[in-house]
Amino acid sequence: MGESAVVCEEVWKSFRIYHQRSNSLKERVITRRNQYEEFWALKDVSLEIPHGAALGIIGSNGSGKSTLLKTIARILTPNKGVVRVDGRMSSLLELGTGFHPELTGRENVFLGGSVMGMTKAELDRNYDGIVEFAGIDSFIDMPMKNYSSGMYARLAFALAISVDPDILVIDEVLAVGDEDFQSRCHQRIAEFRRQGRTIVLVSHGLDNIRALCQDAVWIDKGNVRAYGKSNEVVSAYLAEVYRGDDSRPAEEGDELRYGTREVEIDDVVIVDNGGIAVNAFTTGESVTIRVHYRAHERLVDGNCVLQVFRTSDMIRIYGHSAEETGLRPVFDGEGAVEVTIPRLPLLKGAYVLTIALQHADTGHVWDCLDRSVPLMVFDAPTGRPPHGVVDLATTWRVAQGEG
Amino acid sequence: MSLRTTIGEFRDSREMVVNLVRRDLKVRHRGTFLGMLWSLTTPLMMVGLFYVVFKYILHASSIKDVRSVPFVVYLFCGLAVWNLFSVGLSGATGSILGSSYLLRKVYFPRAILPLTSVLSALVTFAFEFGVALVAAIISVGIPSWRIIWVPLLVLMVCYFTYGMGLLLAALAVSFRDVVHFVGILLQVWFWGTPILYSLQFVDNHPGFQFLLKLNPMTGLVVGFRNVVLLNHPPSVPLLAYDLLASTVVFVVGAVVFNHGQRMFPELV
Repeated sequence: MGESAVVCEEVWKSFRIYHQRSNSLKERVITRRNQYEEFWALKDVSLEIPHGAALGIIGSNGSGKSTLLKTIARILTPNKGVVRVDGRMSSLLELGTGFHPELTGRENVFLGGSVMGMTKAELDRNYDGIVEFAGIDSFIDMPMKNYSSGMYARLAFALAISVDPDILVIDEVLAVGDEDFQSRCHQRIAEFRRQGRTIVLVSHGLDNIRALCQDAVWIDKGNVRAYGKSNEVVSAYLAEVYRGDDSRPAEEGDELRYGTREVEIDDVVIVDNGGIAVNAFTTGESVTIRVHYRAHERLVDGNCVLQVFRTSDMIRIYGHSAEETGLRPVFDGEGAVEVTIPRLPLLKGAYVLTIALQHADTGHVWDCLDRSVPLMVFDAPTGRPPHGVVDLATTWRVAQGEG
Repeated sequence: MSLRTTIGEFRDSREMVVNLVRRDLKVRHRGTFLGMLWSLTTPLMMVGLFYVVFKYILHASSIKDVRSVPFVVYLFCGLAVWNLFSVGLSGATGSILGSSYLLRKVYFPRAILPLTSVLSALVTFAFEFGVALVAAIISVGIPSWRIIWVPLLVLMVCYFTYGMGLLLAALAVSFRDVVHFVGILLQVWFWGTPILYSLQFVDNHPGFQFLLKLNPMTGLVVGFRNVVLLNHPPSVPLLAYDLLASTVVFVVGAVVFNHGQRMFPELV
């Protein structure tokens, strides 16, 4: 196995926009040459995705991110430059690729699965799970043309998330429009990451990119505008998107990050008990938040603050700090503050964390990532999970004839 | 792309090929009462038609030299081989154009699409061959040991068909005319192959016979009939020529296909 799962070296890709494309011999003979304009969708893009890493691709519509995804998936061939792939790759760009309406659900599972690169043995193994997820048991031997669009989508989606390659190239639009799909899709991606697989993801949800990918690339008019840690790339992208946008309230402290920076937060890494960095967990898991800092001077009586918000309404669910637990870190040079949540009580949903380094007594803020560290939580796979925000771990008893 | 990666990718795609062939066959016959039997109707109709034309209208035999074999069986045998070629080739020609939904969404070695068409035709052929064999046993008796030539001959037909298919499938993406052209080509080619008549029938026209022998399908059709019906060996020089011609076609087809395939997802 090579060092990297995917390498793009100086990739250029152009499309010809034909004014009037001649598909027939006659037209070709008469007009001799097709009139077209060359449109460069990718200009000199270089990337390297190590094994086990996850790369998010962001950019506005028409920026070239889909072209990049398809080029990585080797569906499109670059005009110049090379794309090298090391490992078995599957691409999920739409639901139900390869399905034929005349065939039954069962036949399509095996046809579509093989098109996505799954083997017969794999499909045999996953078949029951796919049908169960799709919930179309009694229709599985009927031609798919008789399926409702919902049934079709469920079966196609169940098949899609059962792929098990070394490298997964996925366009998140395939789960758009259905909250359950989206959550399962994210859960599958997170699971994938923990198994050490490689993922390339296109998503319009910037929080998803930050939660699921440690690296991101921002494509703008075919150029790489930024490439690096997903948090930083997303911030740079947001800054550009909202620049000169008067409709956005320019409140004090609206910035995602503020502080006087005598000590800086280098990185916030959230790991599971296996030590793999991923911002997506299931309820009940052990979670460790590691705040890496770099101090430019020696700071005593420091404090580290953690706050947890629900993304949908920004309700603060939790807030605590090192100082309140009797710990006053001294920031000197480089180091890390570790916060462990032994059993994550949050229920399924999207959350964001605030992490701040400040003075324990005056509350003077040195560096604060304000509601900008995403955390995704999924239901534990067993049973029927409770609803809401917090798992109260209730036990139930029915008492009769006691009152 | 290097030959080694291509072969490796083909090997990795074999399950997809099997599933695509299965899809072709299922879709063609699904919902019909007779199912696979329908694939026999076209050759049987043609056999019936030509029988009537030759026997009652032209009052002639185009196979004077092989009186021992009933004309219908002789014809059916040749048609089975011809259909393998013509069905495979016309399928392969449209195989890239007809698979845009796959080409735009997943990566796989593109050359498996024309191969799928050839293999689908091969399955249908197996069915027709079974019928031809039964007819041969009933009318002329059990074939001799020479029948062991059949797998080689069939393989050679597939090889030639695939080579032509690669070439035409790639050309059809740039020039949609090719799809129509293939229909006409196959009609002319049919008459230029000794299916309705024997090679000896044109003994008096050495020029025409020479032209016939340039047709790679001639040696294959004649050879097939020889071993199934007549207990003759196939003509080895003709087969050697076929192999050479097929290889030239295959190489040209593979080069053209390989050159064109990077643009397929954008052009289809």
